[in-house]
Amino acid sequence: MKYFGGCDVGSTYTKCVILDENGKMVAAVTNRSKINPVQSAQIALDDAIAQVDDLHSAKDLSYLIGTGYGRNKVPFAEENISEISCHAMGVHVTNPEVKAIIDIGGQDVKGISIDTDGTVKNFAMNDKCAAGTGRFYEAMANAFEMSLPEFSKLSLSAKNTIPITAQCTVFAESEVISLVGEGKPMDEIAAGIQLAVAKRCFVMAKKAGATDSITLTGGCAKNEGLKQAIEKVLKIKVVELSTDPQLMGALGAAEYARQKGMAKAG
Amino acid sequence: MKDLKHLYEFENLLQEANNALVQEAKAQGKLALGYTCYHVPEVLLNCPGCFSVRLRAPRTGSLDIATYYMSNFLCGYSKALLERAIEGGYNFLDALLGSETCSEMNRALEHFELLHLVDNPNFFVSFMDVPFKIEPHTVKHYVKQAKDKIIHPLSEKYNVDFSDEALLKAVAEHNEVCRLMTEIGSYRKEENPRITGYEYHVLNLITYCCPKSLILDKLRETAEELKTREPDEKKNYRAKIVVVGSEMDDPEFTKLIEESGALVVADRFCFGSIPGREEIHIDPNEDILTQICKHYMVTSQCPRYMSHEKVQERRDTVRRLVKEYHADGVLYEQIKFCEYWGYERALASHIMNDEYGVPSASVDRQYTASSSGQLRTRVQAFVESLEIKKIAKAREANVHAQG
Repeated sequence: MKYFGGCDVGSTYTKCVILDENGKMVAAVTNRSKINPVQSAQIALDDAIAQVDDLHSAKDLSYLIGTGYGRNKVPFAEENISEISCHAMGVHVTNPEVKAIIDIGGQDVKGISIDTDGTVKNFAMNDKCAAGTGRFYEAMANAFEMSLPEFSKLSLSAKNTIPITAQCTVFAESEVISLVGEGKPMDEIAAGIQLAVAKRCFVMAKKAGATDSITLTGGCAKNEGLKQAIEKVLKIKVVELSTDPQLMGALGAAEYARQKGMAKAG
Repeated sequence: MKDLKHLYEFENLLQEANNALVQEAKAQGKLALGYTCYHVPEVLLNCPGCFSVRLRAPRTGSLDIATYYMSNFLCGYSKALLERAIEGGYNFLDALLGSETCSEMNRALEHFELLHLVDNPNFFVSFMDVPFKIEPHTVKHYVKQAKDKIIHPLSEKYNVDFSDEALLKAVAEHNEVCRLMTEIGSYRKEENPRITGYEYHVLNLITYCCPKSLILDKLRETAEELKTREPDEKKNYRAKIVVVGSEMDDPEFTKLIEESGALVVADRFCFGSIPGREEIHIDPNEDILTQICKHYMVTSQCPRYMSHEKVQERRDTVRRLVKEYHADGVLYEQIKFCEYWGYERALASHIMNDEYGVPSASVDRQYTASSSGQLRTRVQAFVESLEIKKIAKAREANVHAQG
């Protein structure tokens, strides 16, 4: 049996997926990224390889592709592919019905529309600041003195939404602290934060040409409050993926590795 | 590919506005005339005894002081020039010739005067008005502006000779540079080009930022060297693209694109060669100055021209370049807050995709963009989509051929 790897070195998390030649996921890892992307990739690869009895090192993989911001730092990788292409492919192999993605990573937000073969039709990217990204959520959760999972559910109980005007992570944090100081309900402030991010996602999705059948990927896809806010602003139901949405980049990279590796082997 | 003999030297010259060749020409007693826009006829600034320097601010760092004088919402190029001027980077200039073509740059250049930024008692700034339409009466106005705002002040202050003989001499030198750059640029049309977009960008910038008389020998040598240069057998790119857009004087941007898998085969941006390096054809029976001015108006591809014909011409030009240079797609780039290219980029990038069937992507960028990881991701994703489209097209053609 041949095995194919995809390693997504993100700014906050490093993910690794191994597929067998039939496209079955045989290993999946999500680790907090280290400051050194080579080290992050190495650890994730080692952890994933430990899950497959037939494999002993990354060299045993028939084809390995790096993706994410540290994509060109993945040891032993045959090549690297941008996370935009990999997320599209990852979602396509998970659910071919999905036609668009909002990918909220640690340091950017992307809207991606997918072609019928899993390739990228169009994309848009918010890459100028941390507004609406995983980093933004980490700062907000800190301001609320909560863990990220706790914070992501906080808005669900809100009856009203207190709008947040600042999108800049630093200013939004000050605004949130002021609102909390004024005694405003925490869940309503959280709903305001989710709405602000959802609006940003709306722009990215529309810019990329997304019209229907959309899903969320990246770490923030697990944020239930955000998912609901996005459904509200986009006025469509977000498709739930059967595989962890945070793994989509690594899965797409592994699928590309499988296709390329199989083609190479003839 | 074997390195170009003069590339390293050229790269070094681009590290400073006041580079070694500028200093050499100044030491010979020549006047350094700064300008920032295509609409200031470059050739007029290269009459005997002068040389033009299209201003850049290489290795720009913080723009805090310029932002204080201007605002957050103005283009980074104009702010970078102001910041560099405040740092004393343009003290070598004898005059700065501006044009009323872009309000953001105008504001930056006004500050050269208001803050007395150039430490030279004879230094002056002059602004010429450039019409928005090309009609006989607007050409007349443009010529008058060239006289009033360039020729007269330089003649009066520095006694520069703008006689027909002097103009023809400047045109001849300009045309030789253009001929060489056109010859070098034509290699980019090859199936596997013998010159990279980065190399061409460096060469072309040199022609804007250094005294022409001091680079001609090296350009000639480079053109000769390229005649026999062998490209690498294995192509180092996955797709060819045309780059279109606003001011771009950072070859590192082209390098970033090429490191992401694309080869830049045509440069349709400010500071590029299309337009910029076309010869000026002079009819001896007509007024020379008028012909020079008309050349710049007619060849300009700046989106400040909003008449229907000019808008259409810009789109047709891009489509023509894609065909002529065998490109797979177009990358529209715009320096953030550039007013003209903001509109042009938003519309044209969609029109290329949806109406002309030319794959395009668009990016906005800071003045210096080389370190942007996100920009790299965007360009790489575009290259991947082009590559996949190429593979799909080839597959389709194969199926047709078989069946």
